[in-house]
Amino acid sequence: MNQPLVTFDGVVKRFGDFTAVQQLDLSINAGEFIAIMGPSGCGKTTTLRMLAGLDQPTEGKIHIDGQLMNNVSPHQRDTPLVWQSLALFPFLNARENVEFGLKMRNQDAATRRKKAMDWLERLGVGEFAERNVETLSGGQRQRVALARSLVTEPRLLLLDEPLSALDAHLVIRMQSVLTRLQRELGITFVYVTHSQSEAFAMADRVVIMSNGEIAQIGQPRDIYREPANQFVAEFVGRNNIISGTVTGVSDSNLIIQSELGEFTVSDHNKVTAEGKDVTFVIAADLVEVSRSPMNKANSVECTLISEEFVGSVVTLFLESSSGTELKVQLQERELSTLDHTAGGAFYLGWDSDSAHLLPA
Amino acid sequence: MARTNFSGFATTWRMPIIVWQVLFFLGPLLFMIAMSFFLVKNYRMVEAFELKNWEKMLTRGYFWDSYILTFWLASLTTAVTSLLAFPASFALAFKVSPSVRRWALFFLIIPFFTSYLVRIFSWYVILAESGVVNALLAHIGLGPYTMLNTKFGTLVGYMTLTLPLVVVLQTFALANIDRNLVQAAHNLGCSPARAIYAVIVPLAKTGLIVAALFCFILSFGDFVSPYYLGGSKPPTLPILIIDTTKSGQQWPRAAVVAVVMMLTLISIAFAALALAYRKRASR
Amino acid sequence: MSGQQSTTSTSIGSRLLDWSLRGYVVLVFVFIFAPILFSVVFSFNSARFPTIPLESFTLHWYQTIWNDPDVWTAVRNSLIVSVCTALIATLLGFCTAYTDYRYNFRFKSAYLALVLLPPTIPLIIMALAMLAWFSKIGASGQLWSIIIAHSVLTAPFAMAIIRLRLNQMDRDLESAAWNLGASEWRTMREVIVPFCKPAIVSALFLTAAVSFDEFAISWFVSGLNKTVPVLILEIVQGNIDPQVNAIGTFVFLVSMTLVIVAQIFFTFRAGKSFS
Repeated sequence: MNQPLVTFDGVVKRFGDFTAVQQLDLSINAGEFIAIMGPSGCGKTTTLRMLAGLDQPTEGKIHIDGQLMNNVSPHQRDTPLVWQSLALFPFLNARENVEFGLKMRNQDAATRRKKAMDWLERLGVGEFAERNVETLSGGQRQRVALARSLVTEPRLLLLDEPLSALDAHLVIRMQSVLTRLQRELGITFVYVTHSQSEAFAMADRVVIMSNGEIAQIGQPRDIYREPANQFVAEFVGRNNIISGTVTGVSDSNLIIQSELGEFTVSDHNKVTAEGKDVTFVIAADLVEVSRSPMNKANSVECTLISEEFVGSVVTLFLESSSGTELKVQLQERELSTLDHTAGGAFYLGWDSDSAHLLPA
Repeated sequence: MARTNFSGFATTWRMPIIVWQVLFFLGPLLFMIAMSFFLVKNYRMVEAFELKNWEKMLTRGYFWDSYILTFWLASLTTAVTSLLAFPASFALAFKVSPSVRRWALFFLIIPFFTSYLVRIFSWYVILAESGVVNALLAHIGLGPYTMLNTKFGTLVGYMTLTLPLVVVLQTFALANIDRNLVQAAHNLGCSPARAIYAVIVPLAKTGLIVAALFCFILSFGDFVSPYYLGGSKPPTLPILIIDTTKSGQQWPRAAVVAVVMMLTLISIAFAALALAYRKRASR
Repeated sequence: MSGQQSTTSTSIGSRLLDWSLRGYVVLVFVFIFAPILFSVVFSFNSARFPTIPLESFTLHWYQTIWNDPDVWTAVRNSLIVSVCTALIATLLGFCTAYTDYRYNFRFKSAYLALVLLPPTIPLIIMALAMLAWFSKIGASGQLWSIIIAHSVLTAPFAMAIIRLRLNQMDRDLESAAWNLGASEWRTMREVIVPFCKPAIVSALFLTAAVSFDEFAISWFVSGLNKTVPVLILEIVQGNIDPQVNAIGTFVFLVSMTLVIVAQIFFTFRAGKSFS
């Protein structure tokens, strides 16, 4: 693994007065599954479109496989894109849609047909080959679109929120289809999404963008456990973010005074001095909850506001006496021991190691 | 999407209509305006820049008779057609199912693209002294009435041309109104008749005015109805253009009439559009 | 929909009003279609001056026009003119519709005005302007002078129809084709044109219909090359001649067929959008 497959060097993209992407530096390795995530308007789709050549960078350079791509037209690249809208050609049937890229590469009809059928079958939609794409279901159309992009055997596949139009149960199915395909083919996936669950479930690395800039790059676990800044901590969600002032430093621990009370947070870098304002994050699933006071380094007494069930995971929304909202995530079976329907106080607690101090 | 640098592809699609319209639309119109200043000597047109034709035409009583008649007829047609079309458009917009409305519009568009000339000839036969209408009326002991060579005849002809289009445009305007607003008016105790006047017409104003504008333009420029059904005495402006061009070989004078017509229509169009898009004054 | 509401909330009075409104619509349709209907009926009627009660059924008027070489020449001229007009106007309309769909540029509103204005100018004025211009450039009295003038007149209709179709196209479709290796030109051939096909067919038929019926400009610029409407105009200028009903019926038949085919392609094929 020597040279990265894709590099962005100081790439800027402006549309008139609007800067969609500012100063983007990013390398993507061959065979990597990378997800670019962020709220709408953060520049993630523009980044993808620049890879496909549909938008040209205003400044900076994009290399693919060592070749400068800035002035290469879209049709001269081999960077197929799976569109959010799928963009299947409505006047062609499923097989003809898949053959399109091969036809543009002037392959003969028999080869085209064979490759198209192979891919449709591999993705489990071979039986619909001669059907009008408009008569297919969302999931089937999705597979046809994937087949159409993969049939030319590209080294790089771009995906622009491909699952956003699907029902929840189909999303999970397609996620495993995609990850399996990526492993089997060993090609690079660049996957743009606003869905954290999709990005974290599939990607090797996640790029989080905000206002045209990269907010953090890292493996899903790192981003989750150690957000680089408040934006990422909030965007990733299910984090409790607490701000306060350092009132004491002992060993690698900080004593932080906030309106919620006093907390102890590990500071392995030992760079924070007394009197400084700091923010730390405690992930909702690292908070323990009980009906009796806890013997933990940090604890808060709260009342329960509401609960939210997603599958077997429950999120409790609680409020401290100072009016701050806190979140706790736990397995549904743990909930039964809490007797959560009864009123009264809940006690939250966590170890000082569990909290993550945001870099100043 | 648009590339800023030169693209042969973009130019290929953009240029044909520009070239075509400049050569065969702007060219003719501008030349006609220029022609209104030409002279005719010994039955031959001489390129010049003289105000003679303008003087000749604008000082003649018959020109102004024609102008007033044409303007009056077109205004009358616009008012009558708009009023007669409205109940039908109202019914098509609010009182029938969407599929009935689609079919009705489908059939209303057909006559717009079929021979107007033959339809007028047909009216000529129907409205004649011994025609179908008078024959029917005779059965109930009425008539015969003279309908040809009257303003009534002209009006029928103009309406043949304009009524389908006005109904189509009005129906679109009315069908696009937010139904909730109408319901709200009813809810607030507005009677159905009052709702038409106070809610529906103001909301559909732009569309209704555009329909009326098209009606005016079409009847102002038509020569067939006033000629065959109206008797052309005095001639309307379009008939004046034909007479001046075809019999007198006085193309420059015909051009004067045409330019006056265009100026009139442009003023009317601007006035109508200003009215249509004016913000409603608070009352 | 309104039927359900009226049963719950209303009196016989408003029911009556609804039905009289519907009756009124029927009257409007009678007015609009009466001349067409009478023309067809009278074309089979033996009376020299058509009225009611009808006289006997006859094909005499059709025989008369069938045996009239002038009619045949006019039909031939009309067919040539409308076919050529349809092709030119639809091509121009397509180029313009695509330009409007794809590009933004300075003076675009002036560009669109230049394209869309001709139908709002009275035909008689266009006729005079065309006549003068064609004699100036030495091109009057030819069939193709009519074709050129008709193309100017009908291109906006073609443009509008094709533009509406392009509106239904997924914005990503064109980019998707580029992305799969098609150049802009190839994309035009493989994606845009196939997508617009129903609208293109519709535009061809509709522009042909408009051209087939146009008489003012044709009359001014045609010289000796009369088209069918010009022939009708000249017959009508003479006397009442039921031949006109026969020719008229033929003209109605042709243009109605063209318009209906155009509408079928437009509403039923193009209307089917994908979501």
